[in-house]
Amino acid sequence: MTSASFPVISALDALTGALFLLTALGVVATRQVLASLQLFILQSLLLALSAVLLGIGLGSPHLLAVAAITIATKTLMIPWLLRHTVSAEVYRTREIERVLNIPSSLLISAVLIMVAYAVANPLLNAVDVPFAHVNLPLGIAAMFLGAFTIAVRREAVPQLLGLLAVENGVFFAGIAIVPNLPVIAELAAAVDVPVITLVIGLLTRQIHRRLGTTSVGRLAALREE
Amino acid sequence: MELAAILAVPALASGLSLSPLGRRFAALITLVAAAIVLGLAASVAIGVMRSGRLDALDQWLTCDALGALILLLVAFVGFTAAIFSWGYIGGRAEQQAKIQRYYCLYNLFLLSMLAVPLLANVALMWIAVELTTLLSAFLVGFEDTAEALEAAWKYVVLTTLGAVLALLGFLILYWGSRVAGLEPFTWVGLAEAAPHMPPALLWPAFLLILVGFGTKVGLVPMHTWLPDAHSQAPASICALLSGVETTTALYVILRLFPVVGSAPGLDARPWFIGFGLVSVGIATLLLIYVRDFKRMFAFSTVEHMGIILVAAGLGGAEAHIGAAYQITGHAIAKSFCFFAAGMTVMAAGTQEIAAVRGLIRSSPLSALALVAGGFAIAGAPPFAIFVSELVILKAGLTSGQYLAIALLAFFVVVAFCAVMFHVNRMAFGVPERDTPVKAAPLSCKVTLALAAIPLIAIGLYVPGPLQELLNAAASAMGG
Amino acid sequence: MLERIVYNLLQVFVVVAFAPLVEGVTSRLKEIIQSKRGPSIFQPYRDIWKLLHKDEIVSEQSSWIFRAAPYVAFTAPVFVALLIPVLTRYPLFFAFMGDMLGGGFVLALGGFFAALAAVDTANPYGPMGASRTRMVGFLAEPVFIIVFLTVSFVAGSTIPYIVQTRWVTPIANFFEPSHVLLMIAFLMLILAEDGRIPVDSPSGQFELAMIERSKSLEYSGRGAALMKWAGAMKLFVLIIIFLNVLVTPWGLAEGMGLGEVLLAIPLVLLKVLGFVLVLVYIESSLAKLRLFRITEFLGAAFVISVVAMITRLSGV
Repeated sequence: MTSASFPVISALDALTGALFLLTALGVVATRQVLASLQLFILQSLLLALSAVLLGIGLGSPHLLAVAAITIATKTLMIPWLLRHTVSAEVYRTREIERVLNIPSSLLISAVLIMVAYAVANPLLNAVDVPFAHVNLPLGIAAMFLGAFTIAVRREAVPQLLGLLAVENGVFFAGIAIVPNLPVIAELAAAVDVPVITLVIGLLTRQIHRRLGTTSVGRLAALREE
Repeated sequence: MELAAILAVPALASGLSLSPLGRRFAALITLVAAAIVLGLAASVAIGVMRSGRLDALDQWLTCDALGALILLLVAFVGFTAAIFSWGYIGGRAEQQAKIQRYYCLYNLFLLSMLAVPLLANVALMWIAVELTTLLSAFLVGFEDTAEALEAAWKYVVLTTLGAVLALLGFLILYWGSRVAGLEPFTWVGLAEAAPHMPPALLWPAFLLILVGFGTKVGLVPMHTWLPDAHSQAPASICALLSGVETTTALYVILRLFPVVGSAPGLDARPWFIGFGLVSVGIATLLLIYVRDFKRMFAFSTVEHMGIILVAAGLGGAEAHIGAAYQITGHAIAKSFCFFAAGMTVMAAGTQEIAAVRGLIRSSPLSALALVAGGFAIAGAPPFAIFVSELVILKAGLTSGQYLAIALLAFFVVVAFCAVMFHVNRMAFGVPERDTPVKAAPLSCKVTLALAAIPLIAIGLYVPGPLQELLNAAASAMGG
Repeated sequence: MLERIVYNLLQVFVVVAFAPLVEGVTSRLKEIIQSKRGPSIFQPYRDIWKLLHKDEIVSEQSSWIFRAAPYVAFTAPVFVALLIPVLTRYPLFFAFMGDMLGGGFVLALGGFFAALAAVDTANPYGPMGASRTRMVGFLAEPVFIIVFLTVSFVAGSTIPYIVQTRWVTPIANFFEPSHVLLMIAFLMLILAEDGRIPVDSPSGQFELAMIERSKSLEYSGRGAALMKWAGAMKLFVLIIIFLNVLVTPWGLAEGMGLGEVLLAIPLVLLKVLGFVLVLVYIESSLAKLRLFRITEFLGAAFVISVVAMITRLSGV
């Protein structure tokens, strides 16, 4: 069974994948904190869409459940949690100074995408699963871009969103390679995401109260000197 | 049945800690719960020795020898840290709500660490490891200073990133086991499926899990959060973090070793030895330059995690017994060290090595504890770590890995000198100024006394049942 | 044979005739979105007619470049219109005279002459605008080249007609990840090259902020008419390249009959209208970028096109 037997779904899934990658690039590049949150929500919606497409294509109700869980937690619960833990003022901030300027970080992102494709290639050559040739490389690329976001951004909320984007990437790859992961595992991983957001949101609030800033990348008091 | 009880008791205690009966009640209930858990863990260990493997709750919970060892260590350190918290945390002039939150999170943290060796389903075990980070985030930031919050932030973000990377590794493992046609996603199931999985899948999964959970263990170069988190947390939490939390993450990696080893054509050992040696080396280097004694103990944790990883990579029954022994010795010694460090902080009011001098005059108990802990953790006789390191070195020599052993011996000796240098400077010498001596709470002294017993005992004589447990755990590691 | 020449000339005529209409529709739609009434869609025609009948004033200090630039700027898009598929799917008479890179260079030639002419006058705003245009131009070059390279690599040729046949005619290719990314990169490129928001404000009158429009500040009479028309044609040609070569061949004539080709005219204009709607939506929802942020905008376009190329080459 290869993707050739699902031409329409394959095509739509490829479109979803391209936009998914674009949102990952956007989270690295945008200055405004609010814009990165909106791009993350879009990315989660695209993940849910891909899960629905694959669920229809492979006939797996598990994946439809995954899509529903994703929409519930990542598009609805996370913005709500963030709104209630992190103060509204954080959303108006823009990062003026960055660790790396935008064109350079985008160029490095392009290199990371190349590395991701190189990593995914031997896996795809070993086992052929329908849809994996789109989802796996793009999922791994989104993972690397999310990790790069954590390295490159200074503000707290974009770092959190980078972390959640890595998880999005893992699931984007996961829905293609293990469509029948037991629902208990998917449910547990889905519970994990709001807990992460809650913890980090509360921590951000505490940092904001104690230090007056949410620029966590600037905190560098602890080192050996 | 005891397996389920081990998980239920701390859950109950955490809920009760939040009741309005006051901070003393919360501390008491935590202490009682930790004592019960210790008893249950001991009985589980005995049960495992008798029947090889315990199962409960329709195969959702399982425990074999290696798991029982980890369980016992977590329960022990949880108990001693709970006693230490009575005085260290309870004696502070903080808000009652904050203290109660501390105990609630303490119990939940303990629960998550206990769950890791018990859960049979690998995906649920991953969740438990994630939860150990998330539940201890606010414990690390308890002191509410800028440094503590920075440490908590780095801790949460970096270890969660590592865990999510490891998640992809586990998903690829699951993919491979479905390709091989075998269903249950448990450690036993994976071990059965591994010889049939395509190596192209097994290899990236192994690397992802090694790097991902290696972040949580504190392997170099993913260790940057560890000295911060393990030094800024209150001493009782540091004991838990350094003593057993990194060990539970290492447990997962050690479990992976026989799974990968059973696949044809893949050799994981050079990776284990490589990562281990790099960690030991960098930790030793940083131990020379360290300026804060809690950070010093944190770097020592990195070093010991590296040594255990090298021991596991050397292969062979001898090396694995050495690794099991080292895990045990490290948990006991490191928690003792952090209790001593906590008492030193209370006596001297600072965490800087250079500011503490002549502790033996101002607070003799702290100084004695510090020196004893320093000796123990650095690997001096007659403490347990000396014996376990000798076993590992000997095993390496007999298996022919001369370069690795030479490097390991060199690093261990340098680290020993560094730790001894710092500890002696703090304990002896002329105090620079007359620091007012703050009397340590009774519970802290009780803790030190209690923790000192196994510290000294295990180095001199390993009781029969414990030796059997270590041997069984080692064979579980070897696969 | 004769038909191919005729259709080729017909397609040039379409480009020349309908370019101001596209400009007019764009401005009217923008005004409507802003709840204003807006000028008539035929206003650009009236402006060109009016300018053609006015006197031309040329500075004595300027050289032949200033006098020749309007003609060069007008001819460049006309020449490119000979090369690209505007109405038909099959190559016409002049189709092999130049490929996409050649067409790109010719378009750049027009812009280059206009920039030189702006420097040629002694107007202080001319050189300022010219230097800014060149900055945007050289940042946009790599994007052009990567986009063209990727599509040519896939199609095995650089001739627009062949690229169109091999790249977009199979419908499955439309949804490919690399295709989507290339479309987005080229869209950002059109916004930059033609001076649309977010790169430049086409309806602004403030000379200090102008990038594109300041090149034609000094012209009057016939020169101004030709420059205005040339600007409209350049946009039209870029849109046609985008739509017919990169997006979809829908609406293009497949057979050789005159009726079919004439039918293609309204269909292609309909496609252009669809694009204009997207363009107007983008222009109305974004704000103009500060000058040095244009590098980030074009850098993002470059990275997107590079990612598209890598995605295609690794077979995702």
